[in-house]
Amino acid sequence: MEGLIGIAFKDFAILAADRMSAFSIITIKSDENKLYKLSDSLMMAVCGEPGDTKQFAEFIEKNIQLYKMRNGFELTPRSAATFIQRNMADYLRSRSPYTCNILLAGHDRETGAELYFIDYLATLTKLPFGIHGYGSFFGTSVLDRYYRYDMSEEEGTKLVLKCIAEVQKRLVVNLPVFQVAIVKKGEIKTLPDVKMTPIEVN
Amino acid sequence: MSIMNYNGGVVIAMKGKDCVAIATDTRLGVRSLTLTTDFPKVFQMGPTLFLGLPGLATDTMTVYQRLRFRLNMYELRENKRVRPQVFTSMVSNLLYERRFGPYFVEPVVAGLDKDGTPYIASMDLIGSYQEPEDICVAGTCSEQAYGMAEALWEKDMDADKLFEAISQSLMNACDRDAISGQGAIVHIVEKNKITTKTLKMRMD
Amino acid sequence: MQRSLNNSETLSGIIQKPQFSPYTDNGGTVIAVGGKGFVIIGCDSRLSSGYTINTRFQPKLFKLTPQTVLGSAGCWCDVLTFVRLIEARLKMYSYEHNKTMSTPATAQLVSIMLYYKRFFPYYVSNLVAGLDEEGNGVVYSYDPVGHCEQSTYCATGSSSAFIQPLLDNYVGKKNIANAEKGKLLTQEEALRVVNDAFVSATERNMYCGDSIILNIITEKGIEERVIPLRKD
Repeated sequence: MEGLIGIAFKDFAILAADRMSAFSIITIKSDENKLYKLSDSLMMAVCGEPGDTKQFAEFIEKNIQLYKMRNGFELTPRSAATFIQRNMADYLRSRSPYTCNILLAGHDRETGAELYFIDYLATLTKLPFGIHGYGSFFGTSVLDRYYRYDMSEEEGTKLVLKCIAEVQKRLVVNLPVFQVAIVKKGEIKTLPDVKMTPIEVN
Repeated sequence: MSIMNYNGGVVIAMKGKDCVAIATDTRLGVRSLTLTTDFPKVFQMGPTLFLGLPGLATDTMTVYQRLRFRLNMYELRENKRVRPQVFTSMVSNLLYERRFGPYFVEPVVAGLDKDGTPYIASMDLIGSYQEPEDICVAGTCSEQAYGMAEALWEKDMDADKLFEAISQSLMNACDRDAISGQGAIVHIVEKNKITTKTLKMRMD
Repeated sequence: MQRSLNNSETLSGIIQKPQFSPYTDNGGTVIAVGGKGFVIIGCDSRLSSGYTINTRFQPKLFKLTPQTVLGSAGCWCDVLTFVRLIEARLKMYSYEHNKTMSTPATAQLVSIMLYYKRFFPYYVSNLVAGLDEEGNGVVYSYDPVGHCEQSTYCATGSSSAFIQPLLDNYVGKKNIANAEKGKLLTQEEALRVVNDAFVSATERNMYCGDSIILNIITEKGIEERVIPLRKD
């Protein structure tokens, strides 16, 4: 019922996540944070089972920070993705698997911006763009049509908005607020939330 | 819908005269939704040894990683390259260790022995293997691939003929399966040469 | 048809409920390939249920008119019923109009008769092969509830998954660079393809085997041939 969108371009990547937290059919919260900053040029978007997402995301976050402290250098996006995948795959076959879907966006000094897609079964794949949740049925079509590898930051942001607009237009589930962030070399820029205008009641 | 048909994909291996070929499609999807068209299910495990792991994608990766580890340990300990036959029992053992909670993959092994003898093997998800004289097929369009490969395979094909047979088998099988295809990679293994080719095929 | 007992547990203990299934799958494969002035329709002759072979020689082709043949596989009792009904309908047509029904009209009739049983369908895979008004081969394929598609080649039945990609490649010239698309096969080529397809399917499918029964339909009439297959 949730939506995560990620797109990787030449030297930056964009992540967008809805801000809904639901319990059964009720929206509990409309300002939930689903984007986790792992380092200066690495960010993770997580959705899934409410408790699991936070627990697992923070576990990953702290371990990646610990790695940097111990070794004096950071994990590359590829290594971080493998680390997440390994942990999820091990938990998958334990008595308490984590049910979360992840998009990992980062900037690698050698290969540029990258996006990794990990689902709740710990399927890992590198993608130019990926979407988690029912939004993928509409969003991927939009991205298939309009995505270009060499888009500017402005064009890229517009493209994400196009996806969000399509999801908000066509998906029956109400996802009114999205948070958006741009991951660049040594910098993560948080953009203002994308909101659907609510009905005004005097 | 079986868990084996969750991500989609197929692998075919064929024996030729002093050569073997192994081919894979490159689709990764979640049921009917295609996530990427860049997910080959065949891995090189030695100078003349390949392993195909169609099935549930997460287990494709896990089984590959575990086997890579065991293979590295074997090569360090024994100080020699693994023989295809030995590698097959290594895969089989790994799968049987999870007899009651299996990895959902159907491995296909293809390679040349040290003396250049072609070798192929395939097994089910709990490691029961067979070493056929002709073809190995596994994946979501295995029926289609069996029909094609059975008709196109001949004894003692050279590398070029083998490439043609395995490519046509894979492409035509994938065209009759909604969750396989979207690109293909073929490896042809000869005594002192490995040729890897990417096939241009239907993307719908 | 099967009558089986299923165990199911309830609070009061284990009770047995008899369950009746009106369908069974007796296997069988039908292939048809059409060309200029001819159409070949072939079936295997094995009739099976589960791991048992009921008979090694049961033709699944039915001559409906001098230029139209129906191939039918699946639930054998449904095949028999369906064929008997369609033969009656064709007889009624011929008495009323004093002519035999054309192939496209027969194809349409098959579709309508299948759809008539939309909510308790005949469990059958049908192929109609015949000559059209110009005397060229046409093939019509169906699903169990009467969806119909015209083509020049098709495989249905238990081995269809094994054979259809092969026909796509050989007959439809799919995935062949610089091939003459739409070029029809000669009768000799078509015979070879049908034969090869059955031999391949028999190697890998339990429900296909024993022998091929071929009907070669031309202006001159219907020639019948029987070719042996593996019997294991």
